Amino acid sequence: MKVTLEVRPRRKPHLPIEAEKIVPRTFFEETDGLSVFRGNKELALEEIFSVAIEGEAASVDGVEITILGDSSRIKRVGEYMDGGRIHVMGDIGMHCGNFMSAGEIVIDGNADAWLGREMRGGTIRCHGSAGDFCAAGYRGEKRGMRGGTVEVFGDAGDFTAETLAGGTVIVHGNAGDLAGVDMKDGVLTIMGDTSMACANMSGGRAYVHGTVYDMIPTFRNIGRETVGGDVFTRFAGDIANRGKGTLFIRNYKYMD
Amino acid sequence: MKKCDVICPFCGCLCDDLEITVEDNRILGVDNGCTLANAKFMGKERLTSPIRRTDGGWEDINYDEAIRYTVDMLLDADRPLLYGWSGTHGEAQCIGVHMCELVGGIIDSTTSVCHGPSILAIQEVGHPGCTLGQVKNRADVVIYWGCNPLEAHPRHMSRYTTYADGYFLDNAFRDRTVVVVDVRETETARVADEFVRIKQGGDYAVLSALRAIVRGKGDMIPPSVAGVPRSQLERIVRMCKDAKFGAVFFGLGLTMTKGKYKNIRNAIELVDELSRHTKFTITPMRGHWNVYGSNEVFTWMTGYPYAIDFCRGIAFYNPGETSAIDILARKECDACMIIGSDPGAHFPRKCVEHLADIPTVVIDPVPTMTTAMANVQIPVAVSGIDAEGTAYRMDGVPFRVKKVIEPTLPSDTEVLGDMFARMKEAKGL
Ligand code: SF4
Repeated sequence: MKVTLEVRPRRKPHLPIEAEKIVPRTFFEETDGLSVFRGNKELALEEIFSVAIEGEAASVDGVEITILGDSSRIKRVGEYMDGGRIHVMGDIGMHCGNFMSAGEIVIDGNADAWLGREMRGGTIRCHGSAGDFCAAGYRGEKRGMRGGTVEVFGDAGDFTAETLAGGTVIVHGNAGDLAGVDMKDGVLTIMGDTSMACANMSGGRAYVHGTVYDMIPTFRNIGRETVGGDVFTRFAGDIANRGKGTLFIRNYKYMD
Repeated sequence: MKKCDVICPFCGCLCDDLEITVEDNRILGVDNGCTLANAKFMGKERLTSPIRRTDGGWEDINYDEAIRYTVDMLLDADRPLLYGWSGTHGEAQCIGVHMCELVGGIIDSTTSVCHGPSILAIQEVGHPGCTLGQVKNRADVVIYWGCNPLEAHPRHMSRYTTYADGYFLDNAFRDRTVVVVDVRETETARVADEFVRIKQGGDYAVLSALRAIVRGKGDMIPPSVAGVPRSQLERIVRMCKDAKFGAVFFGLGLTMTKGKYKNIRNAIELVDELSRHTKFTITPMRGHWNVYGSNEVFTWMTGYPYAIDFCRGIAFYNPGETSAIDILARKECDACMIIGSDPGAHFPRKCVEHLADIPTVVIDPVPTMTTAMANVQIPVAVSGIDAEGTAYRMDGVPFRVKKVIEPTLPSDTEVLGDMFARMKEAKGL
């Protein structure tokens, strides 16, 4: 089944649209009477998108949703996704792929904050940049993303992979402040630079191929180590937190 | 006539020992207050009638028109923002939450631009706090981190720390050690026993280093952390461990710098670590006199302390998404009611521009910088001067603020109560 959703022009284009119904399972089970919210107004899906559906699917994995047009303010697309595919041709709003457990989301543009929040499984690939709290947790939660893969080909914002507790996060560009802060498990790879990486980490592994600025002073330097042909400095920490995490860094700079 | 034991409705200290001289329903003098209190009680710039913007200026309108305009504006909006709340009393805040739920809007207080990060950290790791009375009577080590009480909370040090007598301290002034941690030498730093100057953005690293030293892992700390020599960090840890009772106070210098709420989490975890050796507590220096009250009221009514989105009929909370600055900067609301706050004076330009673009109503006794963005302003009585109600001090202790003169204008509670009644009627409730 191919579902094409094209965002219509809106009179108040900045007001976010909450669209947690845009997930393959919804279309696999029922295509009529779907609604989204613009603030406090519940609207038919067709008021916000022109909708085209072709063919049928034998399972949720047979559903592919394509989103066209300006979807930068469309929030919660792919929330609780458990199979199938979503292809966003432009930018996507906050909370894309919240809690997803299976399937694939591909974003050709940028993703706003909380991409893949508390994700359990599946894959998200963002070909642009991601906002703050990419692959992170929710306020007050002890554990954030627990499984699956988030790959960002541009940069990621502050608090990327905060409270990471499982799965793989790869940022091909730079990440903002405190990437991997409070991480507990899983693997975080940053190909560019970041700052204050993995503060307070208690488990898991992180690789920074660029430079960590404002390096946290409570990681113990274990020595040089070659990983995949690249030479890193290996750190254990965060000692301030009885940390059992491992941090591999190409270059680092303390704020001394 | 002198009115005694009056509570000052200006900052989070809520000093309750002011004496106000009143003649013919006019305030003639303020004793015991600081200069901020004097300015608040003696202020004369009050509006006497609601005003509405016209093509070329302003016109006076009556309360009925002003309230009707606000009710229609909030009911028409898809995503109204109800912001402020820290400069009003708890009873008005309660009505605000009910109104927000009814219109399906977002309610946020000034918390999101001051100690919101502190609350996010507390939600992660808890709050080892205590009352200011405990600090006054017991604390022999006091740390002020990223705050400048001598200028922002002028009587904090004289009522609760440096210059206050302590029941369990023989000579409080001599026995108390005061440490100030800041990026510049403030007035407060000049009267401290020890000043720790850190580089801008280095708070998190310094807190981590202190935690490691408390845990006996100081050997791994570099010789200098964010401009602070390791020897000074070790001296401070010794001082803290030797204390009988330590109290940390922190301000926006810690919440609103690089590291944000993780700084506060780190500070709380340092206090937690120190409490394995002695008694230590931590308290945010709340600014607006009843900002703590807004968090109390919002929490017991909605489950969340600020930045609450009722658009979907249930409470959703996610600062960074549902907080006023983010909503205004992203133009994600289409009407705004502001009460007990002056975002026009403090918010980034982008936010203020959006306020000017959408229908905005200000409820405030005096013309403020936000007035310039408003379509309508409704003047009200001032809580703690000519209106009374409940407020919470920075340590979470509730007080009843009294009025010292008789009101000539309705209170926040009366104006909001009228709005809420009309909203219910419009919704057939
Ligand atoms: S310290 Fe604060 S509460 Fe006390 S008198 Fe001054 S402004 Fe008022």
